[in-house]
Amino acid sequence: MFSQYFGQYLLTEKYLTKDQLKTAIDYQQSVHLKLGVLAINAGYMNAQQASEVHQMQSKVDKRFGEIAVDAAYLKEEQVEKLLSSQKFGHLLLAQALIDKSYMSLEKFEEAIYEYKKKYNISDCQFEALQRDDVDEIINIYVELEGDKYEVEMKKYIALFMKNIIRFIDSEVYTSKIMKVEEHKTKCAVTQKIKNSINFQTYINAKPDVFALIASRYAEEELTIVDELAKDSVGEFLNLNNGLYLVGMSNRGIELDMEPQSEFFEKIIYSTYVLPIELPFGRIELIISHF
Amino acid sequence: MIENFLKVLICDDSMLIRKKLKEVLKSCGCNDILEAASGQAAIDIYKKNNPDLVFMDIIMPFKNGIEAVREIIEFDKEAKVVMASSAGTKEHVKEAIKVGAFEFVQKPWEKEQINKILINLK
Repeated sequence: MFSQYFGQYLLTEKYLTKDQLKTAIDYQQSVHLKLGVLAINAGYMNAQQASEVHQMQSKVDKRFGEIAVDAAYLKEEQVEKLLSSQKFGHLLLAQALIDKSYMSLEKFEEAIYEYKKKYNISDCQFEALQRDDVDEIINIYVELEGDKYEVEMKKYIALFMKNIIRFIDSEVYTSKIMKVEEHKTKCAVTQKIKNSINFQTYINAKPDVFALIASRYAEEELTIVDELAKDSVGEFLNLNNGLYLVGMSNRGIELDMEPQSEFFEKIIYSTYVLPIELPFGRIELIISHF
Repeated sequence: MIENFLKVLICDDSMLIRKKLKEVLKSCGCNDILEAASGQAAIDIYKKNNPDLVFMDIIMPFKNGIEAVREIIEFDKEAKVVMASSAGTKEHVKEAIKVGAFEFVQKPWEKEQINKILINLK
């Protein structure tokens, strides 16, 4: 999940072209992480040191870790830690970019540094991002500062993303949340959550994407927006909201919700719109106060 | 699969949930399955058919599941009702038990959970 965000950042900041990003994403499936990339990412080595070790590798028959330890760039235990580290998604992407010569180690180091700076990401948060910690990802990327329900809405969005990953598709990321005065839906379902916290949420999408969401959730082939498709997306929203209520109830906040309903081709006033990108298209999670 | 002779009523406003639960019940050997899309329809069907077991959703338009169970239990004190809802909050579970449901299943349910309920009922 984090690799999607990092890829979008590289694109926006013009480190890459759209075609390069696409090629690298396709290629990254076959990529194996090299120790240099891992060491830079962990902050154990800088790009210059990694390049030096790479050059040495062409002269001596030794592994990257051995040379780095000999040169006192890395300690034995750091090598072990790096070797046992997970296959972080964004690193697979970085490795693919380096293998394809779209980016140098130096550029990668710079991009990571600028990225952390731009989003004000601490080392601890960065570690959580790399583990695809959805709560932390939403906390960093979804800006709701100043909203009276900021904390509750972020929890809601994080839960929604977890359920998208669980039931629909794991290759998902959010685009920038927008606050708009009015927004017209295409195919949408909605449900109200009420009591001490009152907000109404919607899932909105174009017909083809709506049918695909319905199909994935129902585990049935649904190609058009018929009653079963509407019911399926509505039930997905209902399930998510029910789980949200349970989570809040466990924290001592008892909420209730109304039955879900459809909301096609209608206008919503003064609302948040969170675009959510999936491999087969975009959906919108819309959240309004009432 | 051993065939059982339980008559089961599913009440849920979602046709997808009714369809999925019906499939699970059939795979557990139930063949006598009734369906209701609202609380009121469930009451009417219950009074007419006297099923052995009811799966009841909570959040439904017009008459919700809690109200429907209250009326079903008023009609038949021996009625066996399982609440099945995604909103398994402490308050909802408490209410469900208070009106007479004997079990609460949090959606999304697993086939094993449903099977266990059927076995315990036999």
